[in-house]
Amino acid sequence: MSSLPLPVFLVLALILFCIGLFGALTKRNAVIVLISIELMLNAVNINLVAFSKYGPNPGITGQIFSLFTITVAAAEAAVGLAILFALYRNRRTVNVNEMDQLKR
Amino acid sequence: MELETIRSYDWGIMAPELIILGAATILSLADLLMPKKASRRYLAIFAFLGVACALVALFMQLDNGVISILADTYRFDSFSKAFKLLFLIGTGLILLLAFDDRKGERDEYRGEFYYLLLTALLGAMMMASSADMITLFVGLELLSLSSYIMAGLRKRDRQSNEAAFKYVVNGGISTAITLFGMSYIFGLTGETNLYAIQNALGDPTILQNQFLLVFAFLITFVGLSFKIATVPFQMWAPDVYHGAPIPVTAFLSVVSKAAGFVIMIRFLLVTFIAAPGVAEKPLLQEVQPYLAILAGASMIIGNLIALRQRNIKRMFAYSSIAQAGYILVPFAVISGLMFEAVWFYLLAYLFMNIGVFAIIQLVTAKSGSTDISSFAGLYRRSPWIAVCMTIFVLSLAGFPATAGFIGKFGIFMSALSTGAHYWLAGIMIATTVVSYFYYFNVIGQMFFRSEEEAGKVSIPGGVLTVTAVCVISTLVLGILPHTALEFFYNQFDLSQFFTPTK
Amino acid sequence: MMQYAWLIPLMPLLSFILLLLLGKKLKEASAYVGIWLTAVPLVMSFIVFFGQWGGESYKAEGTWLTIGHAVITFGIEINPLNSLMLVIVSLVSFLVHLYSKGYMNGDERVPVFFAYLGLFTFAMLGLVMSPNLLQLYMFWELVGLGSFLLIGYYYFKPEARQAAKKAFIMTRIGDVGLFIGMILLFWQVGSFEFDDIFKAVASHEMTHAMITLTAILIFVGAIGKSGQLPLHTWLPDAMEGPTPVSALIHAATMVAAGVYLVATMYPLFAASTAALTTVAVVGGVTAIFAASIGLMQKDIKRVLAYSTVSQLGYMMLALGSGGYVAGVFHLTTHAFFKALLFLAAGSVIHAVHTQDIEKMGGLYRKLKRTGPLFLIGALAISGFPLLSGFFSKDQILAATYEDGRFGLFWLAIIAAFFTAFYMFRLFFMVFTGEFRGAAKEVHESPGVMTFPMIVLGILAVLAGYVNTSWFGTFLSDYLGKGEVAPLASNHEPIWISVVATLVSLLGIFMAYLIYKKGSLSRDWLSRHLPSLSSVVYNKYYIDEVYHAVIVRGVRAFSYGWSLIDRYIVEGIVNGAVALVHWLAKLGSKCQNGQVQTYGAVAFVGLVLLLLIFAVSGGYFS
Repeated sequence: MSSLPLPVFLVLALILFCIGLFGALTKRNAVIVLISIELMLNAVNINLVAFSKYGPNPGITGQIFSLFTITVAAAEAAVGLAILFALYRNRRTVNVNEMDQLKR
Repeated sequence: MELETIRSYDWGIMAPELIILGAATILSLADLLMPKKASRRYLAIFAFLGVACALVALFMQLDNGVISILADTYRFDSFSKAFKLLFLIGTGLILLLAFDDRKGERDEYRGEFYYLLLTALLGAMMMASSADMITLFVGLELLSLSSYIMAGLRKRDRQSNEAAFKYVVNGGISTAITLFGMSYIFGLTGETNLYAIQNALGDPTILQNQFLLVFAFLITFVGLSFKIATVPFQMWAPDVYHGAPIPVTAFLSVVSKAAGFVIMIRFLLVTFIAAPGVAEKPLLQEVQPYLAILAGASMIIGNLIALRQRNIKRMFAYSSIAQAGYILVPFAVISGLMFEAVWFYLLAYLFMNIGVFAIIQLVTAKSGSTDISSFAGLYRRSPWIAVCMTIFVLSLAGFPATAGFIGKFGIFMSALSTGAHYWLAGIMIATTVVSYFYYFNVIGQMFFRSEEEAGKVSIPGGVLTVTAVCVISTLVLGILPHTALEFFYNQFDLSQFFTPTK
Repeated sequence: MMQYAWLIPLMPLLSFILLLLLGKKLKEASAYVGIWLTAVPLVMSFIVFFGQWGGESYKAEGTWLTIGHAVITFGIEINPLNSLMLVIVSLVSFLVHLYSKGYMNGDERVPVFFAYLGLFTFAMLGLVMSPNLLQLYMFWELVGLGSFLLIGYYYFKPEARQAAKKAFIMTRIGDVGLFIGMILLFWQVGSFEFDDIFKAVASHEMTHAMITLTAILIFVGAIGKSGQLPLHTWLPDAMEGPTPVSALIHAATMVAAGVYLVATMYPLFAASTAALTTVAVVGGVTAIFAASIGLMQKDIKRVLAYSTVSQLGYMMLALGSGGYVAGVFHLTTHAFFKALLFLAAGSVIHAVHTQDIEKMGGLYRKLKRTGPLFLIGALAISGFPLLSGFFSKDQILAATYEDGRFGLFWLAIIAAFFTAFYMFRLFFMVFTGEFRGAAKEVHESPGVMTFPMIVLGILAVLAGYVNTSWFGTFLSDYLGKGEVAPLASNHEPIWISVVATLVSLLGIFMAYLIYKKGSLSRDWLSRHLPSLSSVVYNKYYIDEVYHAVIVRGVRAFSYGWSLIDRYIVEGIVNGAVALVHWLAKLGSKCQNGQVQTYGAVAFVGLVLLLLIFAVSGGYFS
């Protein structure tokens, strides 16, 4: 089972992170932006778990860390969506481009 | 973990945190159970009492040495004492501000604000006391999540919504970046305890992954720079500060920023102190130029763009970016004077910036606009308020006989103490001169303009207390800085900072 | 007495606080608070000064701040130089308070004015009593703040607002130099104390290059405060403030602080020839530059302002040429006669309600006390024999000559000619001829205003006798007592006195020809230009040649300098400001309100950092 080397996981995580970042920075729909941020956080989880299993210094704390990360990511998503709800109620839009009252 | 071990811990040293946690819990229950129509304003007094109790508890522990509990994840040392003190004072003052914010209006979310402020404070305090990456991260997120909600507290206010959304999106990205860096630090060492990481990074085997190590450092640093709002993660700050309610802006610009510096120092310095760099030099020396560039860029960008601002909240948002740039200087040059320089500047900054926001809250509430012209002719309307504002602004500009001068002086000394940082010191001085333009614009409005609207600005009790405390502290720290520094040297022995408990 | 000397600066501070608290209730009576609380320090300053005459230097300080291992102290020091400054500052301040009582009469905000005066006097007295650089720097800034408030006193005039800001920021630019120099000195010496710094200089603890660098940086601070090239432009603009303020700040005290700074730090400067040369050249060029611009001005106060810049240049020239005593001597005499001139100008403005000299004239008969007093001031500054300016200017010239700076020496001689010329141009245009103004009735100022002028007039005549080679060199002996003050010998060649006298008399005479008699000739010529045959009028024809050749030449010269002033010096300053604004505009354009842009900026920043590191760290090699 453990035939896949560590770099494969790291590269997967990196790709996932970049996709997430790309989505967060380019998508116009605010919900997709929040989902993309989740993707970035999950990339970190892959990293942590892979390191804790196959890393140069494997250790169980990485998996514990990833549990915390998952929890916090969920809380962050909840808060982000709640804020988006409030915004939607006032503005009737989820388009990120239109949220530019505050500038300069 | 056995029940015995849990009981054997010295829980007393967590007293300040536990008090804040208790107060926040009680407040949230009270807010839930109180009748809908009842005013929540007076919950502020309860929250303030909680902060005061925590402060007393902290003072009673000042003489304790280094203690670690909870499997070395919670660490009580001089560093945590020194910075928890700042957080508690800052939050206490902001609670008083919030007590008088929009007094006349019915604000159904007032209760939420108080306990969210306390949980944010709890997060900051946890960060000051954590000796483990996981707890540091949880503390950071507790602070962040509470602040996101606070920024958007005025649900019906479009600007508040937008500020909160921008904050949460940028915050999410920064969290992901920070974590990404942290995951590599964990991967290279296999440890999450800061001192264990320090130990592992001191090991020569780490040299196989030297580039990855520096990358991890830089990624984590950039992720964390979101909290202190410096380049490159500074652009959210003006919009969020602008849109958020004023007490929240004050909190973000003072306590949250201080917490950002705390995690930076705690995490990056402790873990990387012994790490080798790519060349012969240690890692921390190798990244110095990069940190110095970021600090310099923050000062330049913050001060330059502040020149163009007509909105007073935005102006002070940019000013706070520049101030964070100044505070980053001792960190970037890693001098022996770093701790006292950072601590003193944050203390001074706490008083002067909360003072500024207290007065902004008063004046803009009266005029209903956050344009700088609200301050026109303030000296003739309310001379005392204008004089106080002048003192704060002069202090931010670094004028002698104010706390800001001593703070800048300390930073300047630290920048030159390690040598060869002349250009950084030069940028600091040059941008300080630029900052005089916009700071004096405020003074000019107050003294050299005729009033556009008549009427004295009245000061409610809470804001009066805050202003008085801030003015007195700004002047005392400026004229008798010895008092604070003596306290710092006597109470806080920072040599224990880098060494593990046992 | 010495142990109570710290009370001296606290009195004006008390006045400031009292007037801030009670000003609204006291109203006009505020003036008395201010006057009494500067009279007491005046008396104390005299006691300290005479105590110092026979006694030792006095120093008292306590720990103020500990940074690392360095202890920074706070205290007071009384030595010959600063006890002299104490007397000058408290005397002029007292007289100006007195004068302001009359001048500001009827102004609604009298309490505020006297409060600001108190703050300024406090800062200035604190500055001269500082025993270390850091403390000096703090008061230095406070002085700048006081000046900012006073210049902007007529805040409803946009020019006054502008001038106040300009003054503050221009001097701040100089302060940056002082600050950096100060910190550098600290890291070299480990102390801000003057004594420690001089010890380190004497024992060659510092490298020569470092001495030069720090001395020049400190001099940059002096350039800003004393209005030397190229940071002088704020001083003429600062004339928007009330006239007593100009007399106090922009003649006798604040602008002299720069000279005082160089004098205080003299052992540091003396250790570096390059630093001394810089001081001398900047001073000399400023002297001639400002004097030539003064030739053209039409505003009575601006003439005096440029004259102040020029005279400060003289003092710097003296210090840079090793003429320590000459510089301090001229600082003293200048404080008296320039304050006198400003107060007299204020009295004129008070009478005719304009500052334009084209709208004055013939006032000598109407202002029976102001006129003669102004004449005394003008003679003194022109270096008319036996008046105070004559002796001090003479010693500056001698010091410059002795130092072998012949180019600067001749520049100074020409500047002396210009000085005499523009002062008497001013005198003749204001006080002689026909009244050209609109004011119907012109009254002499009340006694409360003329009394300070009389005191200053007496001093302007007599102050020179404290240091003359044939009457007694009290000042040199006094200043030489503190061992820190290196002395220049006083054996001036007699011909220098003669040349200086001739030059100043020539200047006065030329002004007389052109603006007293010449005004007639111009009038006449304009009517009878075609019939220039008559020999009788050839006399006037000669005048016209004078006018054509010399005056036009001088005018062109002066015009050229003012062009340089306007376009190059101001151009550089304005260019820097424009650049800053352009950058600011660019920066705020990026702030487009799009949250994703913000994230992208952070990401690009991170990638850049990583890339730079990877390339410079050799990852790709």
